[in-house]
Amino acid sequence: MTIDQLQAAAANNLWAAITPEIALGVLALLLLGLEMILPKARHSVIPACSIAGQLGVLFALALNFTTTPYLDRDTFNGLLHHSRDGQYLRAFFLVCSLLVSVLGVVALAKQKMPRIEFFHIVLVVTAAMMLLAQSANFVLLFVALETITVGFYILVSYTRSNPLSLEAGLKYLVLGALSSAILLFGIVLLYGVAGNPNSLGSTASPMSYAGVRQFLAANPDNFLASIGIVFVLSGIAFKIGAVPFQIWIPDVYQGAPTPVTAFLAVASKAAGFAVLIGLLPVFQPYAGLVAVTLSIMAGATILFGNLAALTQHNVKRLLGLSGVSHAGYLLMGVVAAQTVPQAIGAIYFYLFAYLLASFAVFAVMTHVAGVNDADQDLDHYADFGKKRPYLAGVLAIGLGSLAGIPPLAGFMGKLMVFIAAFKAGLYPLLAIAIVGVVLSIYYYFGWIKAAFFTTWRPPLAPGETEPAEAAATPVGFPAGLALGVLAAGSVIFGFFQGPIAAWLLAR
Amino acid sequence: MFPLPLATLSEAFTVTLNAYLYLAAVLFAVGFFGVLLRKNTLVIYMCLELMLVASTIALVAFSRYNGVLDGNVFVFFILTVAAAEVAVGLAIIVALFRRRQTVQVEELNALKN
Repeated sequence: MTIDQLQAAAANNLWAAITPEIALGVLALLLLGLEMILPKARHSVIPACSIAGQLGVLFALALNFTTTPYLDRDTFNGLLHHSRDGQYLRAFFLVCSLLVSVLGVVALAKQKMPRIEFFHIVLVVTAAMMLLAQSANFVLLFVALETITVGFYILVSYTRSNPLSLEAGLKYLVLGALSSAILLFGIVLLYGVAGNPNSLGSTASPMSYAGVRQFLAANPDNFLASIGIVFVLSGIAFKIGAVPFQIWIPDVYQGAPTPVTAFLAVASKAAGFAVLIGLLPVFQPYAGLVAVTLSIMAGATILFGNLAALTQHNVKRLLGLSGVSHAGYLLMGVVAAQTVPQAIGAIYFYLFAYLLASFAVFAVMTHVAGVNDADQDLDHYADFGKKRPYLAGVLAIGLGSLAGIPPLAGFMGKLMVFIAAFKAGLYPLLAIAIVGVVLSIYYYFGWIKAAFFTTWRPPLAPGETEPAEAAATPVGFPAGLALGVLAAGSVIFGFFQGPIAAWLLAR
Repeated sequence: MFPLPLATLSEAFTVTLNAYLYLAAVLFAVGFFGVLLRKNTLVIYMCLELMLVASTIALVAFSRYNGVLDGNVFVFFILTVAAAEVAVGLAIIVALFRRRQTVQVEELNALKN
């Protein structure tokens, strides 16, 4: 490399383009610094600093949302590609991390644990997700994905006094590392065949999306490349929890602290889909292979998630398995996106509705959970409607939106994805998805029933007293506000999708 | 930058790209089935590292034979990531062993419906 090339490369490193990510990283370090400086009694202000900082970043991002000069440009020598979708996902992940921080304050108050690292890791993981959503290079994809995964290993096993949390952490660790290794081997195979100077359409930059796409277009039936594509898709399927790579989901969701479960369910899944959508144009010359692989996965995922969720009593497992089925609907959207570009907008709207509904439900769960975070049963919701009407109302809206009941946002999300699938002609998948939606109403309404309707309980034996109830967690101001906003959002975006949906679908 | 001065040596003793790829594939398969079949968490962990090493070997071989340096650079990233993963992973395993006095997979089944 000559000095001119190096200078050109350095001039291409537009650090200002990743200001939000850098700001989050600085904020994360600031939290650790504050922990050292402040006396122990004042440590409760540090989570507030984290939330205020994230609000600031979100505000700045919203101001520059469409006016940023880096739109549709490559920076860092093609490592990053900035796009409309990238801007949307940045905001999406920031909102997720904000809500996780708010829930973290509520959940960690019940544990005797060091607190600050939690908020630190959440910020780092969020910054990595934002980079991942905009990556245009396999090296950055792998490194950002691993930053997220390693951060999640720590977050899942965060309550280290609880063996269940540690067990969940270990299971996530083994299966997460397995999926990363599979993904990496796929990347290596694609790199190897795309860079082979003896083959047609070989590229000088076989790690970049553009280079791999150029090679794949010139060689539409390369055996090693097909294996590489399947391996990469499998690695991503692990992260989004698609069948047959869903085995970790129920255990890890149950054992992880509730805010982390929410983070896994929404942000980690969205990150997986962002990668998948980013890779669709790269694998376009192998569209047939991708469509077959993803269609089989989508059908199996929808059926498995819904059927397995039917028998669950633990609400965290139930939400985890229902999340598997949501991943199935979204995968159907990804298959549709190969031919119908609007499907991408539909997926993003679905994810937004899923964020509102999921975080509403997880926020309620955070307030219901006792010290043992893994033990959250449907029975704990007995008489919930009378005892805590505000939380019960939010829960009902959240569950209704997840089930896709008409006036709520979840319904509109499902409708958009289904319409896209219809336009793409995926009729068998669509039939499976509709069966899945009908099945899902059973378990979502089982939960609502447990919360609102009195159920028969065996009479107390003489001399036995009612089991003592755990002290209920009061709803504080930030969490109460978040609950209200999430529930209101689910209702409002059901009636009026407005500019957000129009903006997402315009492509 | 290629051919390297090793060219004279490699004429007498040629190792083709395919040999490296077979080695990588075998290592990857050993690691993969080890993860699925072994019972001890530490052995599973070694198998996971084996899979990463298999990818690294393939990467270096491809990089050498294609004459592109990206792969060699990527190896450093992989090593760093693997080190971070080991640091976190062993910490979790040790913490779990302190609580449960076991790291055998079949005994770690407390999470259930």
